[in-house]
Amino acid sequence: MPFPPRPVDSTLHGVVDYMAGATLTTVFPRLVGVEGTRSARQIRTAGAIHATYSTMTDYPLGIAKLIPFKAHLALDAIGAIALGATPFVTGQYKEGRRQWVPHVALAAFELMSLAITDPTGDGDYHGDVEAVRQANQEDPHRKIHEGPPAVKATNGSAPEAVEAAPASA
Amino acid sequence: MRANVWSGRNEVSVETVPDPTILNDRDAIVKISSTAICGSDLHLYDGYVPTMKRGDILGHEFMGEVVEKGKGVGNLEVGDRVVVPFPIACGNCWSCKQGLFSVCENSNPNSGMAEKMFGHSTAGIFGYSHLTGGYAGGQAEYARVPFADVGPIKVEEDFTDEQVLFLSDIFPTGWFGADLCDIEGGETIAVFGAGPVGQFAIASAILMGAERVIAIDQYDYRLQMALNKAGATDVIDFSRDADIVEQLKELTGGRGPDAVIDAVGMEAAHGHGAVHAIERAKQASRSETDRGHALRDAILACRAGGIVSVIGVYGGLMDKFPTGAFMNKGLQLRTGQAHVQKYLKPLYEHIRNGDIDPSFVVTHRLDLDQASNAYETFKHKQDECVKVVLKP
Repeated sequence: MPFPPRPVDSTLHGVVDYMAGATLTTVFPRLVGVEGTRSARQIRTAGAIHATYSTMTDYPLGIAKLIPFKAHLALDAIGAIALGATPFVTGQYKEGRRQWVPHVALAAFELMSLAITDPTGDGDYHGDVEAVRQANQEDPHRKIHEGPPAVKATNGSAPEAVEAAPASA
Repeated sequence: MRANVWSGRNEVSVETVPDPTILNDRDAIVKISSTAICGSDLHLYDGYVPTMKRGDILGHEFMGEVVEKGKGVGNLEVGDRVVVPFPIACGNCWSCKQGLFSVCENSNPNSGMAEKMFGHSTAGIFGYSHLTGGYAGGQAEYARVPFADVGPIKVEEDFTDEQVLFLSDIFPTGWFGADLCDIEGGETIAVFGAGPVGQFAIASAILMGAERVIAIDQYDYRLQMALNKAGATDVIDFSRDADIVEQLKELTGGRGPDAVIDAVGMEAAHGHGAVHAIERAKQASRSETDRGHALRDAILACRAGGIVSVIGVYGGLMDKFPTGAFMNKGLQLRTGQAHVQKYLKPLYEHIRNGDIDPSFVVTHRLDLDQASNAYETFKHKQDECVKVVLKP
């Protein structure tokens, strides 16, 4: 298991993306008591942008699949930092804790989520594929791509298979 | 002995455990020469099958040599080379007498647990949770085989292990899936999932005389195996176009396949967008056990009046079952764990006749000590992995 552990694969990351997008654009501003303020507009905009590029990401939950997963993660990081910095750039942090704590908390959540996401998209893969290749007594590529069919077709549509030759055990 | 045990979600380990012993006159002890990892083992590995306990020995596909037997096992001798079917069946109950071996009424000592889950108990299964009896599995050096006078089939020495090993499960399971489709010759059959069971479902449909067999998967190397080895005539790669139903219609003049085989089961990986996101979240939170993309698409794609054959393993409950399409199109849904004992001899004859060489599916042969890496490689489809055979 790698350290830090990165159990989140691209699909689970997508689940979080859509859930976060839906929550931020709808109830989140009201839940944290900033409804009607510019903080609410900023958070809703961030949620909408996040959901939009999620639909365009090349991962299992993406629709258009235009943005590579690693680029998506980079956008997440940039977005998190931008959202966290916004209250301090605009000066709205002076209007009270509610005008900056949600931004910083969301940025922290996003960065934490990134830290446990596997950038390869494989998620919790913790095997040693090189050890498997070394130990494997078969050649997967040859088995799949070379040699005759393994089945004798009865419908005439597939080529004849060779006999299943008895071999020494 | 050494055995591969379940150590928690996404963790297996090879440990030293006590040797099995004869507990009943109808038991035999088999020294295992080859054992395999099944796609359905991944449901245990992923933690979606309840009632697993740490230390449970995994594995339900194995073969080897009889080294000890009880007094009631008259059909086998010590030294016989046998393949062991994954369902444990008594041979005497009403179900077994009907040939319904995978729902044997006597072989599951935890039948009460299974009845609560399924309404009726199913047969015991080697290495497949306490819901199916808590039997020690075959990813080990030795296994105790109950009702050894009913299950195991003797095999000749002139076949390699890998030519006959899959009689234990995936060849009969694939055959059973095709058999449920009532193939008489000339049909178009779609097979969801080009994993090991899907490969054998494809091969079986071809052997039975299907005109076209369409393999559906998202991994190109598996689709290539379906085309090159198993006899598929067409493939659909849903990583390129996720609308499988529309593609199946296009391939069949708008009518749809005569029968569709679901060789995927509860962890369907296709589906996209919000629906898949919701399903993953619900399964992760255990508010549903089964993701139903493959079965839904199978029902939607199948031609009116056709057959949907389900051999992929489902464990509990799925949401959004398309009852409207199922009922209004007049479909037949046929399902089950394969009644392996019923198919052993005819399928062994197919191997002997050279109709099929089941070893085509093996891409990885590893020592048992590599089990942990092997599970990971198989689960994550690394290194063009289709089927792993472990050598104890």
